[in-house]
Amino acid sequence: MIDFDWLLLFEVSLAGIGSGGLYALAGLAFVLIFKATKVVNLAIGEMLMMGAYFFFAMASTLGWPIWLGVVVAVLGSGALGALIERLLIRPMLGESPISVFMITIGLSSILVGAVELIWGADQMRLPDFMPSDPVLIGEAMVPPKIFYGFLVATGLIAVVLVVFRFWRGGIALRATASDQAAAYSMGINVPRVFSLAWVVGAMVAAIAGIIVGSISSLSPTMGVFGLSVLVVVIVGGLDSVAGALVGGIVVGLVEAWSGTYLGGQYKMLSTFSLLVLILMVRPYGLFGTHEIERL
Amino acid sequence: MKPTKWITALLAAAGIVLAPAVQAQEDIVIGGSIPMSGVFAFAGIGIHAGIQDYLKIVNDAGGIKGRKFKYVFEDTAYKPDVSVAAFKKITGGNKVSLYYGDSTAFQRTINPELERMGSIMMAGASLATEINDSKKYPAQFMAGPDYSEQIGILLRHIAKEKPGAKVAIVFSDSEFGRDPVDEFRASAKKLGLTVAVEIQTAPGSVDVSTEVIKLRRADPDYTIFHGYVLAPIPEFVTQMKKSGAKSHFMGTFWTMDSSTVMKLGESGEGFMGVMPYRYYYDTSAKSPMLDKIRQMRPEYQSTPYLQGFLTTMLFVEATKRTLDAGKPLDAKNLKAALNSIKNFDTGGLIGVPITIRGNSIPVGRIYKADMKAKTMVPASDWIHLE
Repeated sequence: MIDFDWLLLFEVSLAGIGSGGLYALAGLAFVLIFKATKVVNLAIGEMLMMGAYFFFAMASTLGWPIWLGVVVAVLGSGALGALIERLLIRPMLGESPISVFMITIGLSSILVGAVELIWGADQMRLPDFMPSDPVLIGEAMVPPKIFYGFLVATGLIAVVLVVFRFWRGGIALRATASDQAAAYSMGINVPRVFSLAWVVGAMVAAIAGIIVGSISSLSPTMGVFGLSVLVVVIVGGLDSVAGALVGGIVVGLVEAWSGTYLGGQYKMLSTFSLLVLILMVRPYGLFGTHEIERL
Repeated sequence: MKPTKWITALLAAAGIVLAPAVQAQEDIVIGGSIPMSGVFAFAGIGIHAGIQDYLKIVNDAGGIKGRKFKYVFEDTAYKPDVSVAAFKKITGGNKVSLYYGDSTAFQRTINPELERMGSIMMAGASLATEINDSKKYPAQFMAGPDYSEQIGILLRHIAKEKPGAKVAIVFSDSEFGRDPVDEFRASAKKLGLTVAVEIQTAPGSVDVSTEVIKLRRADPDYTIFHGYVLAPIPEFVTQMKKSGAKSHFMGTFWTMDSSTVMKLGESGEGFMGVMPYRYYYDTSAKSPMLDKIRQMRPEYQSTPYLQGFLTTMLFVEATKRTLDAGKPLDAKNLKAALNSIKNFDTGGLIGVPITIRGNSIPVGRIYKADMKAKTMVPASDWIHLE
C-alpha cells in the first residue's frame, strides 16, 4: 500500500470526471427528448455525430471562424432535430413505444449513410480550437480538451437546469413530461413542446459532438459514443437531468479506473457490468421516476 | 450429304463451340473483393487504381505470351459476408486465376474454399501474421511484411538508433491491434530493449486521457501505435508532447499514408513508421516504376495504391513464370512460381531486390514526417528481416 501511486489515482480520477462531463452532456440531450416525449432515442450518438460534421463543414471546409462554425452547426442541428421530430416521430404519436424505438434505430442508420455519402467514411480531424496546454491541478496534469470540455458541459447543464426551472417553455416541457393530458387541458401546445424537446436535444447533442470530435476524430463510426451515453442515462435515470450528470461522472470514473488498473479491454466490460448492477438494484436508475415504462 | 460437307459442317459446329473457350483462355482473370465504400474505402480506392494501372501497363505491352489480363471486381464495403458473396459471384462467372481479398476476416473465411478449388492464388489487404503461414494458407501471400515483421523492423531500427531503449506499444483491443503484441515482447527482449508499458485501448474509444497518463508515467523513449488508422494517435501524440514527454512516436503500414500522417498537424513532426514501399514522391533513388506511376498519375498516390500496384506486379510475375514453365495456371503452380522469385527488381517500389520465400516480403524502411515540407522522408536504410 505504501507504494500505491496516489497521484496517478488523482490524475486518472480527474480525467474520468472530465470525460464524465462529456457523457453527461450527451446524456442531457437524451434525457431532454425522453423527458418530454417518452421516446428512447437510440440515434443520440448519430445526432451528436451530425453536429460534429456540421461544424467540420463550416469551420474546416468553408473556413468560417470557429465561433460562427459552432453557432451555425448548433442551429443546423436544431433544424435537423425539428425535421426528425416532424417527419419521423410525430406521425408515430400514439403508436407502440417499440415502433418509435425502431424508428430511432433506422434513423441512426440513415444519419450514418448520409454522412458517408456527403463526407465519405475516412477519419477527419476538426480544427483545434481549445487551448492545448495541459491544466495543472496541484501536481496533477489534466488533459486540456477534457478540462475545457468538462467546463462547457457543466456550464451547459447548469443553464438547462435554470431554463427548465424558470423559462415558460421549460415549465411547459416539465408539465408535458409530468402529464400530457393535463398539459393539453391547461392549454399547453404539446406537439410544439415535442418539437422543442427535439430541437433543444439536437442542439445539446451537437455541442457534445463538437467537443467529442475535437478530442478524437470525425468518422461515421463516432456514433458508438452513444452506447456509453445509453449506459449513462440508464444509470442516472432516463428522465432525470441530475441523473445524467451523476451517471456521466460515475461512468467516466468507472471507465477511467478500469482502463488504468485493469486495461483498456476492460473498459466496456466494467461499464456494462455497472449497468447490470444498477438495473438489478434500482431498475429505474439512480434518480429516475419509478413508473418509467420498460421496453 | 456428301462426306466433305459433313466434315465442313462438323468443323463449323466445333468452331462455334470452341470459339468461346479459346476466347476465355485468352484472358487471365484477376478477381477482386474491393472495399470501394465503407470504413476502408480510403484504401480500397487506392488499391483499385493500383491494380488497374499495373494491368494497363502489362496489357498495353501485349500481355503475357499474348494473353491479356482482365480485372473483375465488386465493391464489398469492407464487409466479410459481402466479400464472400462477391467472390462467389466473380468466380462463378469467370475463370479466375488470381484474386485480391480485402480483409483478414475474408481471407481466413475463404481459405478452405480456395484450397478446395485449387485454381486461384490470392493476395490482399491483410497483413495479418496469421496469413503469413504457407502451410495454413498455401494459396495466399501478402505484398509486404506482416504486422509482426513490421514491429520487428521498427524495433530493429530503435535498437540501432538507441541501444537499450525503453519501448511502449499502444494497440487497439481488436484482432488487428493484438496481432503483433507477442512479437513485440519477444523481439524487444531479443534486441535488448526494455518494454516500458503495453497499453490496450477500447475499440472506438473517444477519450484516451487515462491511457495517455499511463503512457506518460512509463516515459518510453519510443512509442509504437498499432491497430489504428488515425484516431486516437493524434490525441496521444499531442497530449504527450504538450506534457513534455520526449518519446518518439511510430506507426505501422495502415497509418503511414502521407495524407494520414499529415492530419497529425504540427504535433506530428518527426512521427515515424515502417513502410514497405517508397512513397509516391520519394525521389531519393532511381525508381523507374515510380516514374511511370508519376507519369500516369501526376497527383499524389496513396500507399494502398502502391500496395495494389505491387500485388498486381507479383500476380503478373507469378503468371509469367508459370506460363514460361508450360504449366497450367492453378494455385499450386502460381504459388510455386511466386516462391521462385529471388532478388526480384520491383522497379524501385521497394528499394532492395526482393525474395519471396513464404507468404510475405519481410522488408521495410523507416520514414519520418517532415511537417514543413508535408512529406515523409527516409529515416533509415531498407531493413530486411531474415
